Parts: sequence; structure tokens; C-alpha cells
Amino acid sequence: MSNTEAAVMADTGSEQGAAGYLPGEPGMWFFIIGDLLIFGVYFIAYVIYRGQQPELFLHSQAFLNQGIGVTNTLVLLTSSWCLALGTQAARSGQRRDAVRLLALTGVIGGLFPFLKLLEWAPKLAAGHTPGENLFFMYYYVMTGLHLCHVLLGLVIIGFMLRHLRRAPAPNIKFIEAGAIYWHMVDLLWLLLFALFYLMR
Amino acid sequence: MSQSIALDVPSAARSAGPWYRNKKLDQWLCFWSVPVFYNLFGIVFVPLSWMMPPRAPGNTEAGVIEFMQSPNLLLATTILILVVGLSAVGNAVYLSQMKRMTVSPVLRYAFIVGAATGAIVGCLFPMFCFGLGAFRSGYSPEVLQLLYDFGYMSFIGCLGCFFLNWSCLGLSILLDENNTLPRWLGYYTIWQSVTEIFASTLWVSHSGPFAWNGLLAFWFNMVLYVPWQFIVYLCIYRAIKSQPESELDNFRPAAAAAH
Amino acid sequence: MTVYLRNSLTYAWSFLVGITLFSWWLARARGGEYQLDMAITVGVLVMAAVKAWLVIAHFMEVRGGPAWLKRTTYGWVVGVLALLLAAYAFSH
Repeated sequence: MSNTEAAVMADTGSEQGAAGYLPGEPGMWFFIIGDLLIFGVYFIAYVIYRGQQPELFLHSQAFLNQGIGVTNTLVLLTSSWCLALGTQAARSGQRRDAVRLLALTGVIGGLFPFLKLLEWAPKLAAGHTPGENLFFMYYYVMTGLHLCHVLLGLVIIGFMLRHLRRAPAPNIKFIEAGAIYWHMVDLLWLLLFALFYLMR
Repeated sequence: MSQSIALDVPSAARSAGPWYRNKKLDQWLCFWSVPVFYNLFGIVFVPLSWMMPPRAPGNTEAGVIEFMQSPNLLLATTILILVVGLSAVGNAVYLSQMKRMTVSPVLRYAFIVGAATGAIVGCLFPMFCFGLGAFRSGYSPEVLQLLYDFGYMSFIGCLGCFFLNWSCLGLSILLDENNTLPRWLGYYTIWQSVTEIFASTLWVSHSGPFAWNGLLAFWFNMVLYVPWQFIVYLCIYRAIKSQPESELDNFRPAAAAAH
Repeated sequence: MTVYLRNSLTYAWSFLVGITLFSWWLARARGGEYQLDMAITVGVLVMAAVKAWLVIAHFMEVRGGPAWLKRTTYGWVVGVLALLLAAYAFSH
């Protein structure tokens, strides 16, 4: 049943009819939109609290490693790009390309936690712990929560790869749902990067 | 799919017989214990003890002493120790629905242990701390301060226990192939539980949004949690209602055939 | 290979990289302490919102999605940007 369903979905996906094609499954979108709303509240609260002690926030921001921040942004953007291409390949039946692109997504995305550790460790060693001030608390909590999303995303990409390799007829809905999740992780980081590293 | 349709047939012949013969009576009793428990829980923690909304971690010494010695705390603690067992009964109803899900039993064992630890740490400990303050009038201000901190830390810090327990529920809903509970509820459960991780910050923050009475460590979690708790029980209600009788543990084929 | 390079996803990705590098350059340290700067903040936040929109529309494929999805997700981007800017303007 899921095979024919996937085939039908793949067709409608390329056509993009007037009603629009919903990638993934509705439940995943429910999750994504909820997650976006939750993070939206955190972002706005951050700016409001920042306004109460702007000097402290600006002073603390200067300790962040801009280089790692921008590298991690490029890492996530590139892995998201590979995944979007991989989803497209999977939909058009090019399974080998899809597997390669997804593997690349995982490898590039896997750099993110590694770079995050390289960023956190010297900071913690220098005494910039969450208890230092509100900025660092916000910084560790938000980037930590985001890192949890990244790790979960990497696990999901692993499952997607396994599915693409082994399933006789891959369920494109599953691939799409996982891809949407990973893009959301990317999207949240873009805002975190602007708020913590770049904003003045 | 076809199996569940076949199982629906005997449930059509259900309704006959007095209410106490209802095969789901056990689940319904557990289910209706939940509003009773939450109402009493609310009375204990809000109008009786006024520990909710949370008082500030940086409360003055006089403020702490006044709160910790208010006589209502004794009544609140007494009611709580009498009814806290109902939380176990309420969790049983989750468990009986989780048993229907096509997932590893590990998830429901972890769920129930998480719920039990959460109830002890998040419900009994704080009330014991506050009740102790009221029990003996001779405690020094330092001791009262300790009990005050302990009480709030365990009440709000226990959200970490619930993180595990709700994640197991969320994961079970998502992996379940029977659609016992709706999929979107699984996703809602996951983000509801993830925000509970924020409670870990209260060990570091003494004031501001990440303290135990803070906007992000407490209030925002409540805004997500309270509607979620209502919605989960509504979904559980529907799940019990639509559960075929032949699927029940106490279903006896012989008795069903005799009808 | 060219299928993947001459692809709207690849154009979206190169825009994303370009905007990221530009916003990084815009907010680069100009020696000494960081200063409150309305122009940089507004620029950086608007660019972040544009990037968010690119990811949603192209990578998440909302572009070809149903109207309700477009309304909700694009609405989120616009709403969050507006509230962030308002919060910055009124609280700083």
C-alpha cells in the first residue's frame, strides 16, 4: 500500500497542482510550526531581556567566536542544500544519487556538533559558564537546545539513509518529513546566529 | 487494519447490562480519578498553601518565615498525602492505553517509572518541606530557608523526570502503528517535554527568566503544559471509548459467546 | 551533476551563503568593544529573515505547498522579524 502511495505522491510532487503539494506528513508540519512558535517566543524574550542590560550583552557577545559561528552556519546551509537535492533525487527515482547526497548531508551536518564542542570547550575553560550572566545562560541554553535538535536530526538522517538503501520502494513521505525537520534545524540556527553573534 | 474491524463486532453488542458489568469500568474509574486528583492537587498547591505561583528565590527572610509557618500548610500536606496515590491510578490509564501500541514495552516501563519518580520528587517532597516548616514552630530561619529552597527546587526541578516520561509517551504515540492516540499528539508531546529541559537552569539562576519563578524556566513551560494535559486526557478518553472490548485484558471469550 | 548545479535549490543555497557572508562582514568587529548599533542590528535581522524565508520556500518546498502552509510559515517569518525589531526598538 505504501508503495503505490509513494508513487502517487511522487507524481503529484512534480506537478504541484493548484491546491499545492504538502511535502512530508501533516503531523510533521504540526511539529515544525509548534517548534517555530516556541523558538519565536524565546527569540523575542531574548531581545527584550537584552534591552534591559545592553552593555552586559554586548560585552559578553564579544567573547563569542565569530569564525566558528559563521562556519557552522555555512555547514548547516550546505548540508541542508545536499539534503534538498537528495530529496529531489529520491522523488525522481534516482536512488543512488539520493543515497550519496544524504550521506553527504550526514557527513557535513556531523561537523556541526564537533565545531560546537570546539567552541564551547575554550569558553567554559575560560570561565564563561552559564552562571556568569544572563547572556551566557541564554547562549548555552539556546544553542544547547538547538544542538539537541541537530543530534536528533543526525539520527533521523541515519534512518533515512537506511530506508533509502534497504526499502524495496522508498516511502518518499518519510524522506520528505525527515528533510523538513533538518531544514528547520538549519532555519533556527540562522536566527540564533543573527541574535547571538551578529546583532549589535 | 482488517483485524481491528473484525474485533469491533463484539463491541457492538456491548451496551447491554448494568453499568457495573461494563468491561471498561476499571479504565473509566481510573480516568475519572484524574480530574478529582488534579482539582485536589490544585487546591493544595494554590489556595491552601499559596506556594503557586512560585515565590521568588530571592525572597526576604521575613517573607520566607511567614510563608513556611503558615498553618494552612499542615492542612495542605495532609490532603496531599491522602490523595497522592491517585496520581498512580491516573497513570494506570495511560499505561493501559500504551499497552495497545505496537511499540517496545521498554517505553511503557520507562514511562511509568518516570511518572512515579516525578510524583515523588515533584509532588511529595515539596509539600513535605513546606509542611515541616509549619509542623514545628522552633525551626531557625536558616533551616526554614533550606526547606524553602528544597521545596521549590524539587517542585520545579522535577520537570526533568517528566521529560523522560513524556518523551517515552510521545515516542510511543509516534511509533505506534495502531494509531491508538493521534500522531499530532505525539509531536505536541515531544515539544512539550523538550521545553521541560529548561528547568535545569534553575540550579544556576537565582533571578531572571531562568530562575525557578522565571518566564522561561517556569511560566512558558506552564503555558505549554496545562493545555497539553487537558488535550492528552481528551485523547485518552476517546481512545478508551473506541477500544474494542475483545482487546481488553479482562475480556473472557466464553462470557462474550454466552451473550 | 549539472542537474544538481543548475537547479533552483543551488541558486537558493548560493544566495544563502552570500547573505551569510555579507551579514558576517557587516557585523565584523571594528576594534575594541562592541557598540549598540541600530543599523547593523536591523540589517542583520532582516537578512536573517530573508534567509529563513529562502530555507522555508525552497528547501522545505513550501513554495509549491498549500496556501495555509504558506500563510503560516511566511507569517511566522514576518511576525518574528516584526516583533524582534519592535522589541529591539522599544527596549534598547
